[in-house]
Amino acid sequence: MNPRLWKERTTVFILYGLTGCGGLVLAVILTTVIMKGAPALSGEFLFEESRNFGLEGGIFYQMIGTLILMVGAAMVCLPVALGSVLFQTEFLHSSKLKKMFRFLIYSLNAVPTIIFGLIGYLFFGVLLEAGVSWVTGVLILAVMILPTLHVSIHEAVESIPDHYREAGLALGLSPGQQMRAVILPQSVYGIVTGTLLGLARAAGETAAIMFTATAFSGVRLPQSWNEPVTTLQTHILVLSQEAANPAALTHAWGAGLVLLTLVLFLISVTLWMRTGMEMEAER
Amino acid sequence: MNMKPMFPERGPAFWLTGLAATVSAGTIGLLFVSLVVESVPVFKAEGVSFLWGTDWFAGESYGALPMIYGSLMVTGLALVMVLPFALGSAILTSEFLSGRARLIVKAAMELLAGVPGILYGLMGIALLAVWVRDLFGLIDGNTLFTAGVLLAVMILPTVMTLAEDALRAVPGETRDTALSLGLTRIETVMQVVVPQALPGLAGAVFLGLGRAMGETIAVMLVIGGIDRIPQPWFDLFAPGQNIPSKIGREAAEALGFDVQWSALIALGLVLFLMVMTLTTAGNFLIGKAR
Repeated sequence: MNPRLWKERTTVFILYGLTGCGGLVLAVILTTVIMKGAPALSGEFLFEESRNFGLEGGIFYQMIGTLILMVGAAMVCLPVALGSVLFQTEFLHSSKLKKMFRFLIYSLNAVPTIIFGLIGYLFFGVLLEAGVSWVTGVLILAVMILPTLHVSIHEAVESIPDHYREAGLALGLSPGQQMRAVILPQSVYGIVTGTLLGLARAAGETAAIMFTATAFSGVRLPQSWNEPVTTLQTHILVLSQEAANPAALTHAWGAGLVLLTLVLFLISVTLWMRTGMEMEAER
Repeated sequence: MNMKPMFPERGPAFWLTGLAATVSAGTIGLLFVSLVVESVPVFKAEGVSFLWGTDWFAGESYGALPMIYGSLMVTGLALVMVLPFALGSAILTSEFLSGRARLIVKAAMELLAGVPGILYGLMGIALLAVWVRDLFGLIDGNTLFTAGVLLAVMILPTVMTLAEDALRAVPGETRDTALSLGLTRIETVMQVVVPQALPGLAGAVFLGLGRAMGETIAVMLVIGGIDRIPQPWFDLFAPGQNIPSKIGREAAEALGFDVQWSALIALGLVLFLMVMTLTTAGNFLIGKAR
């Protein structure tokens, strides 16, 4: 056979092999969580509180805790991200400053989450005197997901066609009116997808909240602003450290499946929205 | 047009958005300054030898070298293991798959990149550590090697997606020209497309490494948690410790203001600087490729 053809075929074969191995590993991960987690799921598991240090009962308050932290973080983060994007696109005209801004946001995105935990505790836990509490957790996660929302909203605002703005300017709109009447309605997609991705990131985060916002047992709903919550993430963390105990592992896998479903659902919705938008743009 | 003032109008919209922008741009600076200020006490107590001291006994001495060593080793190991798979699948997806198949692969990668770290940790401690123990006949499966493998799996989707973007950024005409000169498809890819995409590919790897170095929760569960450089130093099948794992393990007990807390913050500062170097290099290379 022609040696060049032979080389072509073997290389493509190797590429398929490498991709296949990578895909296989990732498929194994998903099926493992589903297979191991599914037996733990039941009405009792989802709607009862955990008992006996997580070995019996369910994960009801853990789910609520995860929801409180992620929704709170998104609610705190959204206005800041939105305002910050609008300032960058509507008021900043120097391209140097814009680049600088972009660099800062990208750097923030790269900060290891455990550092958000450390410094966030100093600012919110100690200076605000919130201590180890859900408020501290919400604020830390809000800072952590800021770049996610920022980048997504920024993309949407940047992709608004120029003639939309020009129409607004021709009508004599002030920057504030321009934002309300033109920019915001036209970038709703970016705001929604960015928020969903931010929620997914916050729901999956453990390191930043494990020593700043949560307690393991004996916690239900926080009664005041400086009480800790219990979350799915930290519940799995504590249970997985007792990996020798089958009951602990079963509960950990069950909680893991619930968490994975939540996170993957949020990301799927954004992917679905984005492909819909791309198809609309192609039409 | 050149006479336009920098800020056209200073209404309430300006001040409100300006405040938000100050908050989001200032955060990273504030973070860095706090890391520096809060790590002063440990540098006062230990001197610069904090960085190469090998003993860490809370309350007595603080040496960061085993943690720095662990961070570099697990990240390096993850790099070696992720590279063939990430680049191979990126090349296949970008150059050989149909548009539809490509979209499906990309969507799958984005989903996988979002899988929470704690689930990788659970998988690591319940399965991977046991496999490593049995496969290599170890007493304990929680080793630097286990952490490296887990990190490689975790960053695979990130590196693959970014590398694929870098390959796609090479214009189609380049491929057409190479093909019209009689190169086979694989020759086109290997000799023309990949060399052109090299800065972007390197950027993808750097960003992936930055993520790997800062990942806490999964590593913490499988790395073994012993602040020691193994003997000999390249023995990866020994338990170790990296910076995020050390912080994660001790932060709860040190929460407060003594030297131990400061030592953890100083570790955070070292980690911050290493991750920022990787990420800035990565973003620079990717920006250059565009």
